[in-house]
Amino acid sequence: METRICILLLSFVALGCSGCALFHRQPKPDANAQAGDSSAQTSPDSDSSPPPSVIEPQVERRSVKVPSIRPSNIELGAYYGEISIQDFGAQPVAGLRLDYHISEDFFAEAVYGRAKAGETSFETLSNIQLLSDAERRFTYYNLSLGYNLFPGEVFIGRNLAMTSAFYMIGGLGSVKFAGDQNFTVNFGAGFRVLPTDWLALHIDVQDLVFRSDVTGVEELKNNLQATIGATVFF
Amino acid sequence: MERSITTTPSTRRWPTKVAPLLAALLLPLLLAAAPACARDYLQLFVMQPYLELHTGPGRGYPVTQVVARGEAVDVLMRRTEWFKVRTEHGIEGWAYEGDLVRTTLADGSAFQINLGDRAGFASHRWESGAFGGAYEGATLISAYQALSLTDHLKIELSGSQFIGNLSNGYLLDIGFSHVFMPNWRLSPFVTLGGGYERVEPKPTLAQPLSSSNETAYVGVGVRCYLARRLFLRGELRGHEVFTNQNSNEVKNEWKLGFAFFY
Repeated sequence: METRICILLLSFVALGCSGCALFHRQPKPDANAQAGDSSAQTSPDSDSSPPPSVIEPQVERRSVKVPSIRPSNIELGAYYGEISIQDFGAQPVAGLRLDYHISEDFFAEAVYGRAKAGETSFETLSNIQLLSDAERRFTYYNLSLGYNLFPGEVFIGRNLAMTSAFYMIGGLGSVKFAGDQNFTVNFGAGFRVLPTDWLALHIDVQDLVFRSDVTGVEELKNNLQATIGATVFF
Repeated sequence: MERSITTTPSTRRWPTKVAPLLAALLLPLLLAAAPACARDYLQLFVMQPYLELHTGPGRGYPVTQVVARGEAVDVLMRRTEWFKVRTEHGIEGWAYEGDLVRTTLADGSAFQINLGDRAGFASHRWESGAFGGAYEGATLISAYQALSLTDHLKIELSGSQFIGNLSNGYLLDIGFSHVFMPNWRLSPFVTLGGGYERVEPKPTLAQPLSSSNETAYVGVGVRCYLARRLFLRGELRGHEVFTNQNSNEVKNEWKLGFAFFY
């Protein structure tokens, strides 16, 4: 008898522990929760719907911009010096230069320069002017190819070293002088030293050769010029 | 070491009201210091046993530092085939491009650059050059700039000055050139285009009248690779000059010179 009462009481206790869960309507899980928790629970409706994916990729691929490398092959600058215009004396000359360094050996150069010729000895002695003021303007341009013959370093004291190069250069161009254009060949040499990576100092000696009859006889005119200049690399 | 694309730290966002004030105060300083600090540098990782750093941008400059495998360098600038780099320890030096192509980027991919060799000669974007020659008997000085549309096809702009016994003048041409075998050391090409011619007779002549005419040209030429980025170029052109007279003129031009690509 006591055993039957114990079984009856235990049956009530078991029903009481399950509580209202037997009668509770389980809410339909929403899609997002299902996606996140699907690994931990199984829905009674999961058999009829397609299986949810395990991981929803939400992170977009980051676009990586690789920094470019700053090129520094172009030199732009100015120069000033003296040019000896054959038969017309030595006069100041100034100009602009643009260089492009093709390789560590070769560079291309474009130059535009101006000077004003003086008087010939004939003009000085006879007081007769062969050329007008406008005709005495000596303007030229050159397109040249240079070769760094002796690259090296310059040392100042114990703690300062600057890269340098002795170079040869030659090219073609045109001189406008005495009211006429003259095809010109230029050649010479120079020395370049770089106090910093972006600044260069130049010493140049060049000969501008062209054929002219400005003094009455057609002949080759040699016009030596010596200049100093500064350029900026960019 | 954890890899990053750049060595520049991430920027901090300032409050909106403070930013203009700070910008106004610091603008002069920022402008002065801009070249030094406002740039991101490419970071490369040494994969070879070591990377040699020279004291200058040339093969003859001594090697005073090396960078060990696995270390990174920042590429500060490039001059011809040399790159100025800075190591993690702040040491700067010049590395040769032939050594740098064996390094990698932060993502592990190989560092690739145009070496200016035969492959670069066949495929590049820009080229420039200067020539000497003759235009209908007059001495010619010419320069050109070309943009590669493909390895074979280029669009060219050239300017020339001719200096003769009877007249001087200028040419300005634009046209296309087609390179048949760009990967050959000696590669032929044809050109086709049009332009403008200005002739200025010398004042000693009886008829010192200048003339300007449109032209069309066709030509053939050859390119020959010489050294890094440098090649020879020779060309023959026939110009049809459209004059105001009863018949057009045909003028021939030849020129030979050097050019370089980049």
